Amino acid sequence: MSNNNLSVISLVSLGEHPTSRRPRRAEQDARAIELGIKLVGDNLQTLHAGELSDDASQQTALRSYLGMGLAEIKLLEMPADADAVLVIADYLKQQKTDIILTGVRAENGESSGMLPYLLAEQLGMAMVTSIADILSIDEVNKQAEVLQALPRGQRRKLKVDLPFIASVDMAAALPRQSAFGPAMRGQFETTLGGTFTDEESSDWQIVDAKKRPKRLKIIKAKTAADRFKAATAKASGGGGKVVYGVEESAQAILDLLIEEGLI
Amino acid sequence: MSSSEFLSHFLFTLISFALLLTLVGAVKRMLLWSQGQSSTIHWLGLLQIPRRYLVDLHHVVARDKYMSNTHVATAGGFVLSSILIILLYVFQLTLQILTWALLGSSLLMFIGSIFVMLRRRNPPPNLSLGKWQRLPKSLMVFSLSFFILTLPATGILPSDTGGWLLALLLVAGIIWGIGEMFCGMTWGGPMKHAFAGALHLGLHRRQERFGGQSTGLKAIDLSSKKLGVEKPIDFKWNQLLSFDACVECGRCENNCPAFAAGQPLNPKKLIQDMVIGMAGGDDAKFAGSPYPGIKVGTHKGGAIIPIVNVLVESETLWSCTTCRACVDACPMMIEHVDAIVDMRRFETMEKGQTPGKGSEILENLSATDNPNGFAPSTRMNWAADQNLTVFGHNEKKQQVTQADVLLWVGDAAFDMRNQRTLRAMIKLLRAAKVDFAVLGDAECDSGDLARRLGDEATFQRLANSNISTMNKYSFNTIVTADPHAFHCIKNEYGEFGGNYNVMHHTGFFAELVSQQKIKLDNSKELALTYHDPCYLGRYNGEYDAPRFLLESMGVKIKEMERSKSTARCCGGGGGAPVTDIPGKQRIPDMRMADVIETKAEIVAVACPGCSAMLEGVVEPRPEVKDIAELMLDALIEDTGEDMVGAQV
Amino acid sequence: MSELFRRDPRAQWIARNRLHPLHQALVIGPVFGPSGLLRKNLHLIGFIGPNGLKRIDRSGASNNSEQGSRRSATASEVILPLHQVVEPAFYIVVVLDLVSGRLNSHDKDTLGLAQQLANRNSGGGAVVAIAFGELKDDSLDKAGVDRLIHINDEQYADYNPEQRCNDLQGIIAELEPQHILLPDSINGGGDLGRRLAAALQQRPACGVWKLNDDTVICRGSAGKRDITRPLSKLLLVMEECSEPISETRHENSLMSQAPSPLTNGKLLDQGNISVDPNAIPLAEAGFILSGGNGINDWEQFHHTASVLGATEGASRVAVDDGNMPRERQVGATGTWVTAQVYIAVGISGAIQHMQGIGQCDKVVAINTDEGCDMVKRADISAIGDSTEILARLVELVEQRKQIKQTINGGATNE
Repeated sequence: MSNNNLSVISLVSLGEHPTSRRPRRAEQDARAIELGIKLVGDNLQTLHAGELSDDASQQTALRSYLGMGLAEIKLLEMPADADAVLVIADYLKQQKTDIILTGVRAENGESSGMLPYLLAEQLGMAMVTSIADILSIDEVNKQAEVLQALPRGQRRKLKVDLPFIASVDMAAALPRQSAFGPAMRGQFETTLGGTFTDEESSDWQIVDAKKRPKRLKIIKAKTAADRFKAATAKASGGGGKVVYGVEESAQAILDLLIEEGLI
Repeated sequence: MSSSEFLSHFLFTLISFALLLTLVGAVKRMLLWSQGQSSTIHWLGLLQIPRRYLVDLHHVVARDKYMSNTHVATAGGFVLSSILIILLYVFQLTLQILTWALLGSSLLMFIGSIFVMLRRRNPPPNLSLGKWQRLPKSLMVFSLSFFILTLPATGILPSDTGGWLLALLLVAGIIWGIGEMFCGMTWGGPMKHAFAGALHLGLHRRQERFGGQSTGLKAIDLSSKKLGVEKPIDFKWNQLLSFDACVECGRCENNCPAFAAGQPLNPKKLIQDMVIGMAGGDDAKFAGSPYPGIKVGTHKGGAIIPIVNVLVESETLWSCTTCRACVDACPMMIEHVDAIVDMRRFETMEKGQTPGKGSEILENLSATDNPNGFAPSTRMNWAADQNLTVFGHNEKKQQVTQADVLLWVGDAAFDMRNQRTLRAMIKLLRAAKVDFAVLGDAECDSGDLARRLGDEATFQRLANSNISTMNKYSFNTIVTADPHAFHCIKNEYGEFGGNYNVMHHTGFFAELVSQQKIKLDNSKELALTYHDPCYLGRYNGEYDAPRFLLESMGVKIKEMERSKSTARCCGGGGGAPVTDIPGKQRIPDMRMADVIETKAEIVAVACPGCSAMLEGVVEPRPEVKDIAELMLDALIEDTGEDMVGAQV
Repeated sequence: MSELFRRDPRAQWIARNRLHPLHQALVIGPVFGPSGLLRKNLHLIGFIGPNGLKRIDRSGASNNSEQGSRRSATASEVILPLHQVVEPAFYIVVVLDLVSGRLNSHDKDTLGLAQQLANRNSGGGAVVAIAFGELKDDSLDKAGVDRLIHINDEQYADYNPEQRCNDLQGIIAELEPQHILLPDSINGGGDLGRRLAAALQQRPACGVWKLNDDTVICRGSAGKRDITRPLSKLLLVMEECSEPISETRHENSLMSQAPSPLTNGKLLDQGNISVDPNAIPLAEAGFILSGGNGINDWEQFHHTASVLGATEGASRVAVDDGNMPRERQVGATGTWVTAQVYIAVGISGAIQHMQGIGQCDKVVAINTDEGCDMVKRADISAIGDSTEILARLVELVEQRKQIKQTINGGATNE
């Protein structure tokens, strides 16, 4: 696709690895960059609101976006705990942008997924969530065709007016590998973003997520006999069942598929 | 003027001119090499050339007795003849003894060339044809011409024998012979190998190879403008020189597991492509086996043209298992693996194009310090029931900072198969009452995989992290069951300030067994063969300890045809399972076929990579067992007697 | 069901024992005494008249047809107590996802939490459910809906979050609800809730999974942390955030709502595009048919996958042998899958493979070897020749499809 006149900005955040909790490039943001590069190649602008930390691993994480072949990332400097929405909105209001790409939600912090919606509201743009791809852009009619990701690999086609904000789903094309050389040589263009502190979240209690207990099957029994039966019956039927014979096997599998609603 | 007088005058001019021409060629060739990046010049090495040629090179050549004898005759005859020719015809010394010597040396060379000719009657596929088919004829013409030329001078034949006709024939023969043998040396003929090869032996990038070992990859400066090799001129100058030393004997090709599996790699072709890249041109004239599946004549290159996907397809680079079979087999001591990794570095660190699952694995390594992305905090989960001593802060016990042995667990910690080996090792260490401790969650992947996938940055980060962890504690020996970690820590951490006494578990256990600290039952009869891991064998020369251990268990090893230094790789090295370049068959399947050929029921391994690859072969197949597991089966545990003795 | 009359000694015993709790439910049909005589149970006949006396109508007019019916397998449906909110003190608004017009478990859990909020402290709140588009479900009353606002129009069949957001703003302005709850789902609730939050300039609590008095616990950091924060007005709740309503019936009375004017949205739904099951990335696929070394007939395997509508997977060996492409490989060395149903055909289950399917819900093994690891892991294991079993399975599925077609065809003809 050659969309030379198109102005596309991707917003990136610091990701966090799910098991090691180390900073990394956020998976969805990286996909957003990949999609942006597909749309406009080197003309893609990338924006990050935050600070360039002295912490090596955090810098490496931010630089790994540069390693995807970006020449620079615009850095709107703000304290790590400040509200990025206002900072970014302030900046974007001064730009003429056609498409803003973000991830669906951040990998750390509140990760409410509100940022693209708030930006859309403030900038008066259309907002489309969880996209897997941008199929085409009609610059004359100011419309784009996008593919929205639905559960289990299903896709919905949407037409959306330009300019718009799209949050990119995990179903989008895999991001290219981040290469060390370009990552080290890429530049940050820093501007002061302003400080809008988020006071509300300061008194929240944040702890590591524990596994949520599995919901117990509650048996609504009206009689003692039913309650007795429920208490003594085998916990789960069908577990580890072994069937022999072609007919029985096929039937048992079919029953399971019907039970799971797949057929 | 008689024909003999004419000859002697003419020869002076001819040979002087040829030598001048050779010199011009040599300068031109050196200019080609000098396009490369700077690297230490080991001038003293030049003095070592004869020794290296006669000892190190011939040690490799002598694996093929026929060729070794042939080469001694031909090359010895040629070198001697050349010196004598220069003395006789350029410096015009007229010592009779020299004439007789030339007669002898040219005869020797002629005999040698007959054998070269015979070898090339029905050349095996690893030999290059084309100009190399011309070489035996040139050798014969050269030696025969000078032999006949010398005959009258010795007085065996009267001077002027044959008259002008013979003189003309001799002139023609000498022009051919000298053209090929002298000028061809520096102008790109088959004899180039003698000139470049000699210099390469002297100025080799790994001087320690001669009479020692040098197998660790060399670090690069991560802050340089270009990481890795993109174009031929990005190689070091002495690497460019080494490519020119290739004789296209194809021993590398014979030993390359990827080539045998039909993956698009042929080490010989790769080196020849590097020569093409250095000098410019296309590969149409290459007369050896192609990269499997890629037609010869479709690629071209130049010194300042990117190599990958222009001269060499990227699949070629990523097929390599870094098993070093080619390097080990190369009589010219060319370092194929260095060149491949250099080019991989550019692919990964500049282009970000590690194929297959490479990108995912590298991302995992940087985020979790292990290739499969497991939480670093679960590294010790496998040993929950082992009650291991962990270096550093322990929950209840005091700070542990000292132990005799540091047990390097490696990424087998996350792999259910290789946890069995680890458990066996721990039992054995405990049986031998070894004082050992592990690094626990602080241990990171050794960096072997990242480095071989070209990600030097991640390797250096992991290496530095491991070194700073280990430097906090004091221990005498590092013991590991993973030859890759063993090699990395032993040979590659030194550049980053990590110098340790590292042992592979087979070496360590062999010591314990010979000291009687571990007693093994040697009564069992096992039909067993042993598979040498590349990183233990070829990389570190350890062939005996595993065999000693197996023999201590009473096993008579049914050796595979390819064992020890020629052992075939299991296919698991160098990130080959990660990049997963398709071929016609799988390397582990071929290796398992080698095992089955010995009729062994068990194949003993000494590497978690090998056990994973060989166990991946579809059953039925011989059982795969690590030596530690076999030892545990044969362990004679101390009954209470010693304890009682100690108490009394 | 068989027409044979079967004696049920226990039922007969209960029928004789008037003190048994089930006695009432069972003695509907004719009761035979010990001597075989037909006995009428006078307690069950008739009705209580207006003056409080029992009346037996022998004219047959009020005769219920229960007489002579056999003992039915299902007990009569229990009628749950009705929960009424006559004068709501406040409103709790729940916007339902209604995937294909029905309540799903996420909707029910959301309603359950809404009822908790409506009845906490002194209670008195009413749960207003808002349903967009077609509504096929008739169990809203049992799921905890006190009031229903149903906005239906042709355009609500499509994805039109902007219009819905507008409608919601109107409703909220009118009802001034204490809380607004939406399922934080990919089926529309998550999107709509965030749009609404942005429009209302309300900071929502997203990923709420627990309510404690005046605080909620939310999953933050993409599922890695729990955030305890004050209860907010707008809540986007996770599945299983609360038990669904099961003990009470609710009014489910329709509230009229003047439809807000249709706005010109910036989004235009072009409809779902048909996705080939094999184009779905393995990691996302919900139903995987995976083949291994034990498959002899790959043609049949592909055919089975297409008939079942399953995404194809493969074991490493099958990939190595060139029977399947590399990106189809399941396992620790291939793709980690999360399918709802995973059928492993001829895969004995190497450790790496078992690791890769660890997240799957239901695993079916088809294998000749009963002792293999896959059989140990599987929920259903079919032991036998995979070719025959797959062939029979395809037959059964196709039969079922045909039957369905004829039924559907008949329905449209009427």
